Amino acid sequence: MALALQKENENQKNLSYFEVVREHPDVSPLVILKMDVQRRGVHYTKNALSVVDESVHQLRSPYIFGSRDAQIKPVPESLLLPDGTSIIVDPTPLEQNPYIVDVIDGQLVLTDRGEILETVEYWPKPDFYDKRTSSGVLMSHIVSARPQRLNIFQSGFCHFWANDKGCRYCDIVNHFKQQRAELGIPAKLNPQDVFETVREALKQPGRFTGVCLTSGSDTRGAEPFDQEVDFYIEILQAIGANFKVKKFPSQLIASAFTEKQLTRLYEETGLTSYTADLEVLHEELFNWICPGKAEWIGYREWKNRLIRAVDIFGRGNVSTGIVGGVETAKPKGFTSEEAALQSTLTEAEDLISQGVNVAFIVWVPRPGSYFRDQKNPSLDYFVRLAKGLHQLRVKYGLPIDFDDYRRCGNHPDTDLSRLL
Amino acid sequence: MSIIFSKELVELFAKKDTVKVLATTDAKGMPHVVVKESLQLNESNQLIYFELLESSQTNKNMVHSIWFNRPVAVALIGTGGESYQIKGKPVKSIVSGLLFRDYYVKIREQLGDVDLAAVWVIEPVEVIDQRFNIRSREEEIRHPYFKHLDRLAK
Ligand code: SF4
Repeated sequence: MALALQKENENQKNLSYFEVVREHPDVSPLVILKMDVQRRGVHYTKNALSVVDESVHQLRSPYIFGSRDAQIKPVPESLLLPDGTSIIVDPTPLEQNPYIVDVIDGQLVLTDRGEILETVEYWPKPDFYDKRTSSGVLMSHIVSARPQRLNIFQSGFCHFWANDKGCRYCDIVNHFKQQRAELGIPAKLNPQDVFETVREALKQPGRFTGVCLTSGSDTRGAEPFDQEVDFYIEILQAIGANFKVKKFPSQLIASAFTEKQLTRLYEETGLTSYTADLEVLHEELFNWICPGKAEWIGYREWKNRLIRAVDIFGRGNVSTGIVGGVETAKPKGFTSEEAALQSTLTEAEDLISQGVNVAFIVWVPRPGSYFRDQKNPSLDYFVRLAKGLHQLRVKYGLPIDFDDYRRCGNHPDTDLSRLL
Repeated sequence: MSIIFSKELVELFAKKDTVKVLATTDAKGMPHVVVKESLQLNESNQLIYFELLESSQTNKNMVHSIWFNRPVAVALIGTGGESYQIKGKPVKSIVSGLLFRDYYVKIREQLGDVDLAAVWVIEPVEVIDQRFNIRSREEEIRHPYFKHLDRLAK
């Protein structure tokens, strides 16, 4: 039995993109392609780079996490597929066998082993990117853009790193140091800069459909995480001053706060949705992979706080993010993809049935992280994870509008929920 | 090879009083037919329409069609008795960028405070002249058996 399972896993690992598409005729081939591109990364050829127009296309802007080549280069931010699906992906060294972005017959295309898979577009550059705030900071250093959302990373530091308890797949602090040294990115955002940048961004008609805030955890305060909450409230109020309505489509991805902290966030700001990432849906693996989160809150309490958040933000407005595939990290993770999937989806069902959505990102072992030398699972694994989460959403009728293909674009499973 | 539209069809698209209908199907094959006033031709001879409601069944069906290569159909009915059906495939959902912005501004100038979820681009693959006299002549030629005998009696 064990041998059969091992063989099955080996077979899954060897399936090509086309084979996986054939295996899953009910899953969008474009979303499968997105997953594989995120899984393997991309390399831009000289031709692909030669068609970049800096006045039209968005080049890489400050981001909370680093790229697979550990470099900060003015390359295209990311890609769009013909159905409007975003692929959030970063440049990857050629020896890691990434997809190739090239120009063939005048068209920008994704290729693999010389075969054209799909036409793609570079992300459009937002109008505010080259402008400066009244304090002189480049607005693209304050707020970064996805095709349809504004990203605000108000601090590049995570206090879990202070005693070496950062999440094992995460490179936030190393990447922040690199961005500060190479680009002069501020350590912490000034609310006035954020206000002015969002005000400028909103002048562009039809561009943005949501605002997302996130940063590293801040454990300080009278009660743990009070400082993190205070700072989010300050920034959210600065953003909110730009809207004529109290509540505006927004997502906060933060630590798991207490009911008191969440109530403050909900009542004192225009925030509409709340996400606290469990990262891995397995208590023992959580303790190993996210030691800071385990130390300060713990797996069960994290879950409880998410469930209680539904009472405050409402059903369909609370979620947890997971780093899809990290449950197979060595040496303590699942050795069988089948078992990993089953465990993750069982736990996801427990959350989804209680109104807490679950969305995954594709695990990329980044050079600045503790898991830098590891390998992510097979494409088949990610497809089954996406399908499984989507099916749970269908089963429990739980919408994910605030974190879908348009308002986020980084979750293959919520891309599938365009059909919900 | 792309479809070349007749002058009459191009004019029919441009006329305000032409009734334009879009038919799509969902994942289970359930048909969904709606009038889409915004159906028009773009410069590349493709059909486009403005999807104002992101949660509409048509929008979901269009996503399903572009994902799984499923055709959609458009019917045009003119006040002068013109009747055409165009079968096609969704090839692009424009959701961001300069073109999207232009359409977004244009549609809001026309309709007021509405949103724009996507501009769908449909590549035409077949045009059928659905006028009854044309269709009945075709049937006469191709299927001479398809008639009741009393129509032929002396
Ligand atoms: S909580 Fe974990 S994933 Fe988030 S920034 Fe800190 S170390 Fe990184």
